[in-house]
Amino acid sequence: MRLAAVVLVAGLLISAAAARRESRPTVYAASSLTNVFPKIVAAKYSFAGSDTLAAQIRQGAPADVFASANMKLPQGLHDDKLCSKPVVFTRNALVVIVPTSNPAGIHSIYDLTKHGVKVVVAAPSVPVGAYTRKVLAELHLQAVLGNVVSEETDVREVLAKIALGEGDAGFVYRTDARTAPGKVTPIAIPARGQPNVRYGICVVAASSHKAGAHAFVSKVLGPRGQRILRRNGFLPRIAKR
Amino acid sequence: MRRRLLAVLFLGASAVALLFLVLPVVAIFARVPPSRLLHQLSTPVVTDALVVSFKTTAIAQALILLFGTPLAYLVASRRFRGRALVVTLVELPLVLPPAVAGLGLLAAFGRMGLLGSTFGGLGLHISFTQTAVTLAVAFVASPLYIRTAIAAFEAVDPDLVAASRTLGAGSTRTFFRVVLPLAGNGLAAGEALAFARGLGEFGATIMFAGSLQGVTRTLPLAIYAEFSVNFDVALALGALLVAISAALLLTLRLILSWRPSPRTSPSLFAPST
Repeated sequence: MRLAAVVLVAGLLISAAAARRESRPTVYAASSLTNVFPKIVAAKYSFAGSDTLAAQIRQGAPADVFASANMKLPQGLHDDKLCSKPVVFTRNALVVIVPTSNPAGIHSIYDLTKHGVKVVVAAPSVPVGAYTRKVLAELHLQAVLGNVVSEETDVREVLAKIALGEGDAGFVYRTDARTAPGKVTPIAIPARGQPNVRYGICVVAASSHKAGAHAFVSKVLGPRGQRILRRNGFLPRIAKR
Repeated sequence: MRRRLLAVLFLGASAVALLFLVLPVVAIFARVPPSRLLHQLSTPVVTDALVVSFKTTAIAQALILLFGTPLAYLVASRRFRGRALVVTLVELPLVLPPAVAGLGLLAAFGRMGLLGSTFGGLGLHISFTQTAVTLAVAFVASPLYIRTAIAAFEAVDPDLVAASRTLGAGSTRTFFRVVLPLAGNGLAAGEALAFARGLGEFGATIMFAGSLQGVTRTLPLAIYAEFSVNFDVALALGALLVAISAALLLTLRLILSWRPSPRTSPSLFAPST
């Protein structure tokens, strides 16, 4: 009898714990959100390049929420009826980073055209990689692409290669540069070259935790979520005029 | 009755295991019609990756044969203190997660690494080059060759070696005309295994060498890059690797089924006398 009670209580505890875990949505988020999203909400996170995450969702990955570093990828999923209409939840800006030792003596984005500078960028399919190419086109610096030694699969890989000192310079979001203080030095990109980096969030159509997913999106868009994003260097979701 | 039940259980379990192993491979070919697969194979993304993969793997294999064969022979033919330790060290990269291999290569040969600063002083930069890919492939693939080669050398009948020596052949001549031909099958089998492993190398390469089309982007790296861009191209690359790996495995079977020649000379390895 006593044994039965113990088993029953244990069973209830386990199922309660399982239920609580169940209510946590699975969030597929751009790798640039790695440091900030867990500060806003506890959830099951998968961080990677937004393009990889979108491809996984297309292949039926069990995501409830998709947070992308651009609007194009979630809009594409929405067009194919794979997620809800995306909304902008934050914005960001690009910087050039160099290792603190700055072996190639880079002091501005214009130095990146120098012969032999090892530039690390993200692949063009990754949002930050597309923004990088936009910046270079805007500033007529396409020659920099000739110095690219690696096309990484997400922004954190670019950060890692520069923080390790393997590359001479890389293009990342300013929020990424902040996560490796003492290892990389950010160099600002002229304002006229800055693209409009908008992050889109949507609820995945195939989600089995729609309530949890919508609650997650509300928390990110809510005052506390926005405050935490701004405190970590992200820009307000609506551009000031 | 019970025996029959056991037989049925074994048969059922075997069927599940076989199906599980075959299904993903078949699925790669089932997702895209063969004509589309062939069409995708002619895109520059695929041809560039093929060239990078074969070039780096071939150079890595040459290095593995050149440096691995003497090491395997020494370990197989000598009894010395610390032999077990040497064998363990040789086999370690085999069980290391590729990500750890990548970290290790960065820590050793990276620009800030142990040897990287020395190389840097000489004007040699390894990271982001095909040299980096070759090193990564050699690091993960060599244990497969060396392990098999040790076993092959150990299986050589010591009486034949002794006979060769008593008949007046020097140790060099004995090695090239007796030991190498006798161990040849085993060495070739090990080489085929190492080649297959080298072609599939992913983790250490992407960490140490980066990924750039036509320079460091090998077939597995191209699959990863194309996964989010064009799933069909990724599938075509996957199908290509399945075909190559199957061909290598078949070669391996053929090599192993060849009976070693009873004649010890002449050999491919014989030095001109």
